[in-house]
Amino acid sequence: MQLLSYQRGSRAKVLAALLLGVMAIFVAKLFYLQIIKHSDYVAEANAEQVKPLIIPAKRGLIYAMDGSNTVPLVINQTVYTMFADPLTVTEPDKVLNVIREVAGGNLRPHPEDLLNRRDTRYQILGTKLTREQAEKIKSQNLRGIGFQEESQRVYPEGSLAAQTLGFVNAAGQGQYGVEEALNDRLTGHDGLLKSVTDVSGVPLTIGNQNINKPAQDGDNIALTIDRNIQAYVERALAAGLKRSGATNGSVLVMDPQTGKVMAMANLPTYDPSNYGNAKDASVFQNATISTPYEAGSVVKSLTVSTGLDKGVITPSSTFYNKGIIRVDDTTIQNADTSEALGTQTMQTALTDSLNTGMVTIAERLGDDSHITKESRDTIYNYFHDRFKLGQLTGIELAGESPGIIIAPGSVQGNAVRYSNMVFGQGMDITMLQMTSAFSSIINGGVYYTPTVVAGTVGGDGGLTPSDPKPFTRVVQAKTSKDIKRMLEIDRHDNGAIDPAGYHVGGKTGTSQALINGRYSFTQTVGTYIGFGGDKTARYVIMVQVSGKGKNLQGAHDASPIFGNISNWMLRYLKIAPKG
Amino acid sequence: MSYQTQQFYTSRRRAPAYGSAGSWNRNQNTVAFVSSVRLGPVAHTVLIALMITVLGLVYLTQATRATSYDYEAQKIDNQIADLSTKKSDLEVENARLTALETVQKSKVAKAMTAPAATDYTR
Repeated sequence: MQLLSYQRGSRAKVLAALLLGVMAIFVAKLFYLQIIKHSDYVAEANAEQVKPLIIPAKRGLIYAMDGSNTVPLVINQTVYTMFADPLTVTEPDKVLNVIREVAGGNLRPHPEDLLNRRDTRYQILGTKLTREQAEKIKSQNLRGIGFQEESQRVYPEGSLAAQTLGFVNAAGQGQYGVEEALNDRLTGHDGLLKSVTDVSGVPLTIGNQNINKPAQDGDNIALTIDRNIQAYVERALAAGLKRSGATNGSVLVMDPQTGKVMAMANLPTYDPSNYGNAKDASVFQNATISTPYEAGSVVKSLTVSTGLDKGVITPSSTFYNKGIIRVDDTTIQNADTSEALGTQTMQTALTDSLNTGMVTIAERLGDDSHITKESRDTIYNYFHDRFKLGQLTGIELAGESPGIIIAPGSVQGNAVRYSNMVFGQGMDITMLQMTSAFSSIINGGVYYTPTVVAGTVGGDGGLTPSDPKPFTRVVQAKTSKDIKRMLEIDRHDNGAIDPAGYHVGGKTGTSQALINGRYSFTQTVGTYIGFGGDKTARYVIMVQVSGKGKNLQGAHDASPIFGNISNWMLRYLKIAPKG
Repeated sequence: MSYQTQQFYTSRRRAPAYGSAGSWNRNQNTVAFVSSVRLGPVAHTVLIALMITVLGLVYLTQATRATSYDYEAQKIDNQIADLSTKKSDLEVENARLTALETVQKSKVAKAMTAPAATDYTR
């Protein structure tokens, strides 16, 4: 084939050269853009097109028990915040009419003023709108009105077990109770969706850097709290406070065979769905675990158990009661120095709550006439090491206080201190510590670590029980049998009338309130702790009542609340009477 | 560019092949086909360009189809989210209706009477 040849300086040749030059410029520019600046433009494109979307994890729900079933105490609900862009709203009158009609109770005050503002493009008009309300307003196609979806905690049972549950603050963090203590488990882990999106933000599957990491929702936790017991206990406590004139009260109900807390009630309380309305932050505290106090004579049950277990006393052992007893340079006296004078049994010392009897036990743990170092070591071993008083129990609730037990080796851990401790003064313990210790002495001698978590609830609603908590033997079975019988006699001889055919026992406690470091003679705290069941103790109930300037007695003010709850528990647990 | 349209079939019975002159063996093909169409370099270039175009169209079609699936998936995701919200609302309503206070205030509960006596199975 013969090739065409251009004439020198021809227009075609010039045009070809020109085109070649332009093409060379294009190639050079494309090389610069696509090769040299490749990574820069890819990054710029990704920044614009690839959007990371956080997939929020759902906070775990909290359940209570209803017999052997689980029922929700805390659940999540999607609610909507309604906002407006005042500069975009074109029909303010129509907007006002619609939102007032549909979401009147959820609107912020004076929405007309909010819509008339011209210095902002974001005004919240209403909060916590339900899905139905939001859908109705959306259907009106109001220009300039938008909705923001959020999740809120809902409490179908109202303020039931409020201090045990706690609440979730505006930042999504659990506060107080289970919500705070198990915040990590309840929160879960957010997921991530990172992909190329279109202009509407719809994720597309194009691109090779897409990430789709699903959210891991928080655990649904079932508490050991029984809804029915909790509700009854709260009603009984409220009635008891009204009857006694006390302003504050707490009740703790535990299964002594497992350490599971069946109810925890404190008054006054609050509504967790409106926690911001609480006037006093102290109502958020769960007094049964966070307010240690001198529990008083209920501790005598532990002192007698220690004496029985060490073999220095039996229920029928005797001592001589003078109404007072001397320890070093201090005189210890009974509440009534003229009561039960003369030779008395240890059963009487417990039934009549004689401080002198308890000091006698402490002396017998030593050289029989003094509270020696050996005696104090033994008491400390039982109270602190075995019964776990004065230390955190590790219950799954925020705000637990360890309390204080003075060790015998310290300066303050002298004989006078220990002579007070054996009848419940000179040490601060929580109701949870006392209830756990008391459970161990009446259940056969085994200390169970207290717990409020029964397990986790799966998507199918099934309960997966938690791993069993550790337990240790703290007193001999014989000791447990003896003290259980002594406590039954104590309750019976003090005039309590329980349904026939059941084993119910307990001990009163009345302790002087410490005000500014001094014991008050006008303000006392009434306490009662006891158990009930058939041959096997099925529940332990501890009641405490108090009030500023109130002289409250364990026998008169706390014991009736115990009796009320105990009688109901026997029926609720369907315990058959003996005979 | 020219095309030869004639085709030639050569019988192997007639042509000497495979070693022995003029002989053929059992199970051997007896007809060989030789295409008489011959493509020049321009035709090759055009065909390759066409193939690339077709492949490009196929790719674009698939990419567009994948993107359309994304929109369908997004619609389904939105429906799932909507149904999930409705389910949560129903769960909340169910929890409220079965709450102790609601049950205790119900007509059924108010109509209940305390048992006169209780027997236990032993």
